[in-house]
Amino acid sequence: MDRWERMDEFMSRVEAALLVTFLGLMILVAFSQIVLRNLFFTGLDWGDSLLRNLVLWIGFIGATLATKDGKHINIDVVSRGLSPVGKNLVTGITHLFAFAVCCALTYATLKFIRNEMQMGQKTFLNIPVWIPELILPMTFSLMTFRFGLRFLKNLSKTGQRVFVEGRGKGS
Amino acid sequence: MTFILIFIALLVLFLGAPLFTVVSGVTLYLLFVADIDSSAMIIEMYRMATTPILVAIPLFTFAGYLLSESKAPKRLIGLTDALLGWLPGGLSVIALITCSAFTALTGATGLTIIALGGILLPALQQGRYPEKFSLGLVTNSGTLGVLFPPSLPIIIYAIVSKLQISQLFLAGLLPGMLMLALLLAFSVRMAMVNKIPRTKFNGLQVLKAIREAMWELPLPLVVLGGIYSGYFAVSEAAAITAVYVFLVEVIICRDIRWRDLPQVMRKSMVLVGGILIILGAALGFTNFLIDAEVPMKLFNFVKAYTDSPYLFLILLNLFLLVVGCLMDIFSALIVVVPLIGPVAQAYGINPVHLAVIFIANLQIGALTPPVGMSLFISSLRFERPMSKIISASLPFIAILLFVLAIITYVPWLSLALLK
Repeated sequence: MDRWERMDEFMSRVEAALLVTFLGLMILVAFSQIVLRNLFFTGLDWGDSLLRNLVLWIGFIGATLATKDGKHINIDVVSRGLSPVGKNLVTGITHLFAFAVCCALTYATLKFIRNEMQMGQKTFLNIPVWIPELILPMTFSLMTFRFGLRFLKNLSKTGQRVFVEGRGKGS
Repeated sequence: MTFILIFIALLVLFLGAPLFTVVSGVTLYLLFVADIDSSAMIIEMYRMATTPILVAIPLFTFAGYLLSESKAPKRLIGLTDALLGWLPGGLSVIALITCSAFTALTGATGLTIIALGGILLPALQQGRYPEKFSLGLVTNSGTLGVLFPPSLPIIIYAIVSKLQISQLFLAGLLPGMLMLALLLAFSVRMAMVNKIPRTKFNGLQVLKAIREAMWELPLPLVVLGGIYSGYFAVSEAAAITAVYVFLVEVIICRDIRWRDLPQVMRKSMVLVGGILIILGAALGFTNFLIDAEVPMKLFNFVKAYTDSPYLFLILLNLFLLVVGCLMDIFSALIVVVPLIGPVAQAYGINPVHLAVIFIANLQIGALTPPVGMSLFISSLRFERPMSKIISASLPFIAILLFVLAIITYVPWLSLALLK
């Protein structure tokens, strides 16, 4: 379990580094496009499609980090008023659900990539379109892993809590 | 079977599962039943994520986070204080104006309450404003200003409903100003009744404050001038805003150290990721609903009860207030707009007018007890019990609801500037 968590931590560092790089690149490219267009009446012809792909990468890496930080947008009306054990239980259910959905989504993205490889379209700088799209299966599998890990961690924590409380009542 | 699944989806939704997993799960199930390959959903998601206009979202969000982490809020307050502090209720006037400018830039993410509220609340209390009034004011500031450009909710509404962003930016102006004006009047009256001491106008002070905030002052011009003159596309204005704010806060004023920059970037992009993934997941879902003619069925269902667009608008307002207090503004827009939009259009409501109604509703919804988002943020930030925050917000909610009624039944207010 510890090893998995260290791996999770390591991955999140890599993601944060990528996020910073991509956002920096995005600001740079978007701004140079404006400068080029207005001062030199030209532009990078691959710039706009690079920008679109950067949004894709930033968005999905941001979403996996949101999974790590527990910052996904949700409606938490119920869990606010619950006891700690009830909260753990609810978290367990939602993480298991999220895990299952992300599994299915990972599978769907893999099929999507396979189709795109067969179509063989190209994007900026003549790169096959499926290469930037690889971010989809990568991030969804990572989210699956994270929801799974959180579920297991929560399970062991709930187990301990129930055990401790049970003993407390017994004595 | 379907009913059991709807029940499960609603259950996990209200238990707090990430919204994108609920929407994706339902979509995948619908695709499975209709015998369509699940990669169809990913195609939609990809198409959404690579829409050209979407470039504006990370750029504006980054600029907003940079501003909120810098000392810009303090300078902004200092400047308005020097300019307007001599008015009766000066400090509350300052609070309302700076907060709405700030929320327009940072997009109703609760950042205003955290970044500005922390400075304003102590200042208000020092200025002998009643605590209840002060709390209500800063809580209300969390979403006041979402009708002003370049607010993120407007951009997202335009993307979801395929309207022109620049038109929506114009449409929100007058209704937003009306809200601000009435709240200002309320605050000034409040100050006069309570005999809040005033400060004297001091020319030197003004000059000093202007010099301090000199770099932030051109910002609205950059954002608004560029967009309204039509010289820049919205995504270009976003790029310029991001570069400008970066230059000012990191290089000129050095409020944010270089080594803190990655953290600000990460924080802002986690929010962007959270929004984009719902946007992507919901697109597949709403396309499916539209193919299944759900909006039409919804229309027929509502039509059976009322033919009157006026009654429909009342129902819509009530519905949206509930939605706004359950969900945050972004997910509410993404999920509800594609469903209600066609219904409203069938009632003959102008889509731009509808956009303003929607956003105004969700703005108030975030303040509505018992579960509005701003209430929680405020309660956490200022360490006051929820009950206190709620009762403090009530007068503000009443005023906003009054404006909402005007916005809803006077379409002119939203459409006048479009001509």
